[in-house]
Amino acid sequence: MNCPDCKDKLDRFVDRELNNTEVLELQLHLEGCPDCSDHYEFQAHLKRLVKHSCDCDAAPAAFREKLRQILT
Amino acid sequence: MAESPARLAFAEEALTHLHTLYRGALRLTRDPDQAQDLVQEAYLRALRYQHSYQTGTNMKAWLFAIMRNLFWDRFKGTRKDDVSLDDVGDFVLFEKLRDEGARPEADVLDRIAASEVVSAVETLPPLHREVVLLVDVEGFSYKDAAQALGVPIGTVMSRLHRARQQLQKSLYDYAVESGIVRGSTNGATPQ
Repeated sequence: MNCPDCKDKLDRFVDRELNNTEVLELQLHLEGCPDCSDHYEFQAHLKRLVKHSCDCDAAPAAFREKLRQILT
Repeated sequence: MAESPARLAFAEEALTHLHTLYRGALRLTRDPDQAQDLVQEAYLRALRYQHSYQTGTNMKAWLFAIMRNLFWDRFKGTRKDDVSLDDVGDFVLFEKLRDEGARPEADVLDRIAASEVVSAVETLPPLHREVVLLVDVEGFSYKDAAQALGVPIGTVMSRLHRARQQLQKSLYDYAVESGIVRGSTNGATPQ
């Protein structure tokens, strides 16, 4: 695998959407390529940032109870 | 409303996905009251169409599909209301920061406030916003996201790719405006 191939597959790697063969090929490339390894860490960090920024809004307890009353 | 044990069990299982639905509704409507209305309506519809849910399949994706379809039907009119993304080209934040000498690049991410990330996500057009919500926030696989959105996996991937590029561009612009990075020196981006 070369750097352009790695870049092309990086998002799918971070999203755990590659098959086992692709994962092994990409991991092998990352071990020998500091630039791509840095890029991978950045993309994974960015995905975590988006998740943690957006998943802090929990449904209010009163709303859950209201729904429970309505639905059950 | 419910009487039978099966219906009760269905409602209880559906409620385990409340946070996902509420967060999705909140990001789509950008209004807590509208989000609650949307989620409540989605649950009522889910119960009404309980027979169409296939046991053993992904209930979270099924519920999200009901919720987002209601959003498009009732809160936003038709899908034509969705506006397309700006063409930001092949914007890769990592490469942009590296070109500008910001090392380590990830330090820039640590200095971006969560509220700015939420704002950047909410600025995305809804069709692109919802795929980011499913894949990045809720951890859906592309396949489950495709099921929830009623589109092919390839569409999920292309929307996600474009949404992420726009998101990275928004975060970069914020980083420049707030002085986290100095911005490019070619005159293209600095504020």
